[in-house]
Amino acid sequence: MIRTLRIVGQNPLSLLGLILVALVVLAAALAPWISPFPSHNGAVVDFVYANQGPTARNWMGTDLVGRDILSRILYAYQISLFLSLVVLAIAPPVGTLVGLLAGYMGGWVETILMRIVDVFLSIPPLVLAIAMMGVLEPTLTNAMLAVTVMWWPWYARLVYSLARSEREEGYVLAAEVIGASTAHITFREILPNCLPAIITKMTLDMGFVIIIASSLSFLGLGVQPPTPDLGSMVAEGARYLPDSWWLTVFPGLAILVAVFGFNLLGDGLRDLLGVDE
Amino acid sequence: MKTKTWLAAGLLAAIAFTPSAYAGGTLRLDEVAVGELDPAKASDYADSILMFNVYDTLVLPRQGGAGHVPHLASNWEIDGATYTFNLRDDVAFQSGNPLRAEDVVYSVERMTALGAGYSYLFRGVTATAVDSLTVSFTLETPYSPFIAALVRLPIVDKALVEDNKGNEEWGETFLSSNGAGTGAYIVTSHNPQEETVMTKNDNYFLGVAEAAPDTVRLRYGLEAATVRTLIARGEHDIASQWLPPEVVRALSEDGAQLFSETGTGAFYLKMNTTKPPLDDVNCRRAFAAAFDYDTAIQMIAITDDVSAGSPATGAIPVGMFGANGPERVQTQNMEKAREYLATCAYDPAEISLEVSWIAEVPLEERFALLFQSNLAQLGVQSEIIKLPWALFSEQVSNPENTPHFSQIFVNAVTGDPDTLLYGMYHSTSAGTWQSPENLNDAEVDAYLEEGRTATTEAARETAYSKLNTRLMDLAPTIYGFDRQSIFAASNRVNAPAISDPSQAFGLDGMGFSFRLMEVVDD
Repeated sequence: MIRTLRIVGQNPLSLLGLILVALVVLAAALAPWISPFPSHNGAVVDFVYANQGPTARNWMGTDLVGRDILSRILYAYQISLFLSLVVLAIAPPVGTLVGLLAGYMGGWVETILMRIVDVFLSIPPLVLAIAMMGVLEPTLTNAMLAVTVMWWPWYARLVYSLARSEREEGYVLAAEVIGASTAHITFREILPNCLPAIITKMTLDMGFVIIIASSLSFLGLGVQPPTPDLGSMVAEGARYLPDSWWLTVFPGLAILVAVFGFNLLGDGLRDLLGVDE
Repeated sequence: MKTKTWLAAGLLAAIAFTPSAYAGGTLRLDEVAVGELDPAKASDYADSILMFNVYDTLVLPRQGGAGHVPHLASNWEIDGATYTFNLRDDVAFQSGNPLRAEDVVYSVERMTALGAGYSYLFRGVTATAVDSLTVSFTLETPYSPFIAALVRLPIVDKALVEDNKGNEEWGETFLSSNGAGTGAYIVTSHNPQEETVMTKNDNYFLGVAEAAPDTVRLRYGLEAATVRTLIARGEHDIASQWLPPEVVRALSEDGAQLFSETGTGAFYLKMNTTKPPLDDVNCRRAFAAAFDYDTAIQMIAITDDVSAGSPATGAIPVGMFGANGPERVQTQNMEKAREYLATCAYDPAEISLEVSWIAEVPLEERFALLFQSNLAQLGVQSEIIKLPWALFSEQVSNPENTPHFSQIFVNAVTGDPDTLLYGMYHSTSAGTWQSPENLNDAEVDAYLEEGRTATTEAARETAYSKLNTRLMDLAPTIYGFDRQSIFAASNRVNAPAISDPSQAFGLDGMGFSFRLMEVVDD
């Protein structure tokens, strides 16, 4: 642990990443306590303060119905992180299972599983998500579902290629020789050797999932108002540029900070865990 | 702040060459998609602009006053339910064909056969060509605002359509992308999602002034931020009325002109009376009492003296037959709302209401949020749904798919209250974008019939006044405010028919008759 921190500390960029991620996570976790106007998270309007730039009362200004933008960003982080965590709790295990089975077992299992993966990968991810959201109702659950469906094949592909090369390694052959079961070999022998790559990808993906989820809500297909969401805040504010710039700039920066943080941290982890590009 | 200074500097530079003479340059404006060019299918504002410029009608509303004046007609006579019009003999279509009585007959028949757009105004009307320049209309049932309705009967070039109709009976494909009128502007290209380009018709029967625009580019579906930037850079002339008030205010502060068109319509939150809990009148009354009318009015103020609307006094806009006086201005009353809600058959805790807003009209999202917070004060849950116009107008054809609350701006399409109210509330008109209430009330139907058949103004006033009272009691709609359309415009244009009350038509969209506008040369 101390070694980890020291290595992260030696790389100023990953340290920055760690700090940004910590800030975002803290902001989301403490939103109800640190946001200046916790009620602005819900169905509240306050037209007296509508559409004002940054002031001492509202550090990031207010939106068109008078809600504090800072408060809404803090709450929006909750949604973004929650969505990313759910997606990354489902997509990687599914993808890993598919990749491991296909990579280790080969033969028709490989053919069937990887062709399915290819079908999913052949559709541009955002298009697939938009199509799904078009059919389903735009809600948080469906947004998570749509992003998960487009995300797991990438893990399947990654783990598949790792498992294929591990399959030829001496330790796998040794396990086979002593009669270990397929389950044992895949999960106890091959999987641990793939974990660093998976964890690195997950960290990097936190940022990308936030971007994709924001893109969906930018298009009006994600979380619905009044629930705060970074993507829809940017989308709504964009109509009022350049005059009411605070409506777009602060939520945009909030997306930037989160995605940048996770990317830098992911890069640092990759170096730390010795994963090849 | 810096951006603002730049923009202001840019605009000052643009204003510096103050137009000395209007010389008919290019006029650029925008509206919400789609632009329906077929005059028998036209129904909204964009369609009206196209209709009034590409086509002409027998009569026009009198500019700056009440009543109607001859236009394609030279005069008319009314004999009971028969209206006889003599046509001008000097009018030619854009194709070169002369205007004949058979074209008028064809236009009525085509309109009623297609049954779209404003065809409901001409149901039961039989047109006959008495001779080549005389046409008579016989009405099955008396309809006192018939002359007013004629401003929605664009006359189509029968011979041209017949030549180009292909396999279709009424040439819908041809007319949805080509003009076939006598109008002052000729369509040169038309893409209903993007842009219609029109040029001046040099052979127009009334002539077109030199200063009127030579070319008009009507673009569809521009983003508010795009319009804002284009106008600031001098690349756009008249913004649509759907810009949010903040943007109009910013443009006005930068020196843009504001045209206000005094309308004959209102902003409505329409309740789907077929869907629980809105099938219970007390629930509807509760929600109507809970809406924060005062804040809505504040939200649409643009400058100290220009606003996109004034307080509603009831179901009929001020200035029309049957309107209530200013003492009846609608206000929020939470106490009453709670009383009504207590007598509503549904449990408020179990209600979840859909409040929709039209994606092209960002202002409506704020009304949705305002109303959502009003409902929350009542302890009622609601969900906000954003619907693009095209999707909304399709969904309302089925009451089950119609949201609980639909936000709509509606205007009297001929300036007469009949055309505002009949289409909204008569039981036979249910299920259009104007009537997502799906109201079915015999008393309302009776007053509406009385209003359109009564022959004296006093009788019409009484009928509409009773209708007003009945509607306020039934509460099918939340009457947000009486509206006025505000257009931000560059200093290259002058549009007296919109903004000068003494030249205004009193009919939404007709002020956009380009032949009456003036534009500096480009």
